[in-house]
Amino acid sequence: MPRLLSSALALRRDPRILKIPPYLSLLCILVGAVWLFLLPLNEYSRRTYISENALLPGQVHTYFGGSDQNVLRAYKQEVNSLVGKSNVEINDKLESIVKGLGLKTARQNFTYSAAGRTFEGENLYAILQAPRGDATEAIVLVAAWENVKHELNKNGVPLVLTLARYFKRWSLWSKDIIILLSPDSIAGPQAWVDAYHDAHDSSRVASLPIKSGALQGAIAIDYVQEHRFKSVHIVYDGVNGQLPNLDLINSVVNIAGGQMGMGVALQEMWNHNDKYPDRLRTMLRGMLKQGLGLASGPHSSFIPYHVDAVTLQPFGEGWQDEMAMGRVVEGTFRSLNNLLEHLHQSFFFYLLMHRERFVSIGTYLPSAMLVAANFTIMAIFLWMKSGQPEVPAASTPESSDKDAPTPTAERDLFLPLAVVALSGSLSVIPLYVFNHVPESALTPLFYLFLVINTLLPISISLTTTKLFSPTLQQYHLVKSFSLLLLGMFLSSLATLNFSLAMLIGLLSAPLSFVKPYSSPVSRIVGYVLLNLTSPPAVLLASAAIWGLNVGDILREAAVAWHVTGTTSAVVVWCVWWPAWLAGSVCVLGQPAGQEGKVKRA
Amino acid sequence: MRQLFSFFLLSLVSFSSLVSSTSAAAADYHEQLVLRPLPLSALLASFNFRSNTSLSEFEAHNFRFFPRSLGQILQHAGTQELHLRFSLGRWDSESWGARPWDGAREGGTGVELWAWLQATTDEEADHKWLTLTNALSGLFCASLNFIDGTRTTRPVMSFQPEGDHLNTTAADTHLLYGVLPHEVVCTENLTPFLKLLPCKGKAGIATLLDGHKLFDASWQSMAIDVKPICPVGGECVLQIELTIDMVLDIDRSKRPRDNPIPRPPPGHELPCNTSKPYHSQDTCFPTDHQANQDWTLSQIFGRTMKGICPLTDPTIPPVCLHVPDSRSVYHSDGVLEKKNLDRVSRCFEIKPDVDFEIVLPAPEDESAVVVKPETPLLYAERSFTGHGQERGGVQTILRNPSPDTEVEFIYMESLPWFMRIYLHTMSARIQGQTAKNESLIQEVYYRPAVDRARGTQLEVRMRVPPASTVFLTYDFEKSILRYTEYPPDANRGFDVAAAVITILSPAAYSLRTTSLLCSLPTPDFSMPYNVIIFTSTAIALAFGGMFNILVRRFVAADEGPEVGLAVLKKRINERVGVLVEKFKKGKGKKIETGVGQATGEVNDPSVETGVAKE
Repeated sequence: MPRLLSSALALRRDPRILKIPPYLSLLCILVGAVWLFLLPLNEYSRRTYISENALLPGQVHTYFGGSDQNVLRAYKQEVNSLVGKSNVEINDKLESIVKGLGLKTARQNFTYSAAGRTFEGENLYAILQAPRGDATEAIVLVAAWENVKHELNKNGVPLVLTLARYFKRWSLWSKDIIILLSPDSIAGPQAWVDAYHDAHDSSRVASLPIKSGALQGAIAIDYVQEHRFKSVHIVYDGVNGQLPNLDLINSVVNIAGGQMGMGVALQEMWNHNDKYPDRLRTMLRGMLKQGLGLASGPHSSFIPYHVDAVTLQPFGEGWQDEMAMGRVVEGTFRSLNNLLEHLHQSFFFYLLMHRERFVSIGTYLPSAMLVAANFTIMAIFLWMKSGQPEVPAASTPESSDKDAPTPTAERDLFLPLAVVALSGSLSVIPLYVFNHVPESALTPLFYLFLVINTLLPISISLTTTKLFSPTLQQYHLVKSFSLLLLGMFLSSLATLNFSLAMLIGLLSAPLSFVKPYSSPVSRIVGYVLLNLTSPPAVLLASAAIWGLNVGDILREAAVAWHVTGTTSAVVVWCVWWPAWLAGSVCVLGQPAGQEGKVKRA
Repeated sequence: MRQLFSFFLLSLVSFSSLVSSTSAAAADYHEQLVLRPLPLSALLASFNFRSNTSLSEFEAHNFRFFPRSLGQILQHAGTQELHLRFSLGRWDSESWGARPWDGAREGGTGVELWAWLQATTDEEADHKWLTLTNALSGLFCASLNFIDGTRTTRPVMSFQPEGDHLNTTAADTHLLYGVLPHEVVCTENLTPFLKLLPCKGKAGIATLLDGHKLFDASWQSMAIDVKPICPVGGECVLQIELTIDMVLDIDRSKRPRDNPIPRPPPGHELPCNTSKPYHSQDTCFPTDHQANQDWTLSQIFGRTMKGICPLTDPTIPPVCLHVPDSRSVYHSDGVLEKKNLDRVSRCFEIKPDVDFEIVLPAPEDESAVVVKPETPLLYAERSFTGHGQERGGVQTILRNPSPDTEVEFIYMESLPWFMRIYLHTMSARIQGQTAKNESLIQEVYYRPAVDRARGTQLEVRMRVPPASTVFLTYDFEKSILRYTEYPPDANRGFDVAAAVITILSPAAYSLRTTSLLCSLPTPDFSMPYNVIIFTSTAIALAFGGMFNILVRRFVAADEGPEVGLAVLKKRINERVGVLVEKFKKGKGKKIETGVGQATGEVNDPSVETGVAKE
């Protein structure tokens, strides 16, 4: 035993052991990335199932149809006659229809300003009081006048009106049904949900004059196409990558796919053959949307308030008509109506790769955690390295083994901490600027920022070299602290928004391996390469790949920041960017008194 | 035979009432059904059954019209006045106007019970209350026995006795109030209710009470009120009043029971607005369903009324209908229609043993379908504000519709103990003004909660100026329950009882808000929780190991000071060696000195090293 221990200790002193962490770190990244690609396999994913027995999806007969279609046609005529009119005129007409059904109606004004634009409008909503209920619970049916792509919801609004009239006839509702008709798909529902929970800024968003009980679920209908459809597309991404309870999606899949015999698609995968490539693509699209954290439909605003919601979009050429869509909604509402408790049984953290296949957090989380762990490992490694004396012992290993343990070098912490703190505090500037300048200034400002971003590390590096002439140890410490922070933030973020943590983790992986280069050529090459993975460069590259305008992306981000409270910008500017800045400073570093030593090594 | 019997009874009753009218209002009984069509195809049906028994007969256990089962409970529990409510649904005062009986005969959702008990001490009152709730629980098949200390309050301002309590002082009369908001009122509560009636459900207006219809109502309230009444100069009587109010949806009630599914009607039966330009065979803008006010009694209640209860006071008409006089109403034979002087109501006198039926055809005059309901004195709406599992707020919106009269009332909340309210956050403000208005709240009575023992009781005397809306808000904190305290459906949330609003001026009126559903932090031992635990454990282990390696200085055993078992062993060896040496020295000093020296030599270096290293 003592022999084993002493040999282990000898091994610890072995310089080879200190070479392991970078490889371990690389291994973590590789395993993390490969892990992700294993998930769509049958062995790692699971079939979905209904966890909440009370839902009983598809177990009821649906009766929406018959002469209700005549009513729908009439409402469609009414809605068509409103096209092009102002928000208030539309609401006047819709309110008169809904009031005629015997529902209580109310309106709400809202004004948001973001990126120099003003988003204002008036929500109209109606409460169908549960016939024997007492206003303790409610479910919401949403139809925005136009969808996220600004197409008129020409079939959705009449369908919701007809459904309201149909639902009014039933006496079995245990929860109030709220019909929300908002002028747009993002700001309107957001204002309404905020005001419903009294989390609104009353200077911009009006309070709701009438309310019902606790919201238990919401279904939004985005039914733009005029002709008959083939299947239903479920949009489920919430703001900041939050997801609705999987039971809700499963119920819709069960009702639309099983009971109604129409297909269900996810993540714009219109034809899904349930093979590996399609599953992977669905999953990656889902992750990308989750990572961006933008609102993807009227349902998105509900999810942060723990109200499970999805948007249903009919698509494709088929033989299903509006009545079939209405029956899907009816079936889903009957299921939600059965709920005795708030949806809580099934998963809130999952990745869907097919309508009947998913991986849960327990399976996918390790990949993001491994990627985040690589930063922590490197940070610890660098801390240890910085503690070793700068001049390596010239004596042979045998003699050092017999010596007293090598003394820990004094660490000079002030400069590294100052650099990390500086990069962290500088990050507030882009966060503020990009969220507060008008739309027209966004594109020029972005290119200006790109230039500044390229020059900033150089200037910081030059200044520090000139003023403090930092040692290699200090560069190690700068990198150690910044990676420690990055690893910490990303591992916590992985539990909240896995996809964002994974994306940022992979994009900032090169930061683990940068170091001050001795030769000017490798220093410049390293800096150029690192610049390719800088946040603005990645933004530019992704804009080019998807054929978007950078200004549009930034505008959407600013709107999301102000309206829906998307926090992805905070992660990009305040977590990723400072780490990148510190890494760049390290790459450009010229440690004092390094020349001779590097040659010797 | 039956006719003869009822005639005999009737004459007996009328005879007795004739006889007793001079002496005192002795035992009598009457029942009445008031039908009041409301806007939006609703119909309010108020059943009222009232019987008196003289206090002396009651005390002598001589029950006549007074139900014996209830009477004995009241006597046993020393109850002087009792009010019990079973309610379901909500009264839509925006459409239906003022509440029936000025709100005096209704409760919040679930079960509500308040009573004045005779007891000398609080403990005795509590004991009697326990007896009363348990006995009533058995009688009415309701979970009234769950009204324990946490759900019982002693209102100070809100409730005043309705009866005349002569020979009692305030000191020995205790008012206790309990409420069960989660109790679902159902047919099992109706059956015992009907059994309290002198005619049960066999004759009279009670024959119309059918569980299917009653519990399909949009709003219904069953009330039992027992109180002593002492007319001036007369003998005191104990009065029991049983009231059932329900608002029926005419459309829904007219559906046949064997086919209650609201299938879409055939296209040609759909009432359409033909004036629309696009109107055609397959396009139909439906006309408002509001005009649906043609109904018959048997359609609404599923059966006709079977005669009248022979015990009832014949001077009071058993059925009254509140429709404008201009509307024509058809009724069955043997019924006498009497229009009242107010021109908006009429009553029907029914001969015994006549099946009573009325038919209201679709009105010709659209303007005079229903009598316009009275505007209530106050509108109240209560809802939660905020979100999340830690804190919340309650906001009550109180609107006074009157243009010139100020309303003064008492707002009472009895909250469960796990809602810890912050009293300092309670404020009232008038809509349109940002600052809170101090003069709105006039008096506050607050009795804080005690965890697991007592709920919060809050009574606020306040006023709402004419034609204004007041927001009463306060914040609260949600406490975490012990895991055994969660009900099986913990994720549903916890019901919070309705607030009771008792209006003092300009007129006596009371109303209840709807109940609320408060979601508490609920432990979830399912997947995400496990994942978090597992990841935290893994990180803690990894971090712990890593940290240990980082901060600890490792040296080989031969380099560092000796610690652990080896040293202990060595020391023990040492001591044993010394003992052995001593023993040997003492035993054979003369013979084996050499050996002793030798052992000493062996031991000495280790002792030295041991000391040196310490």
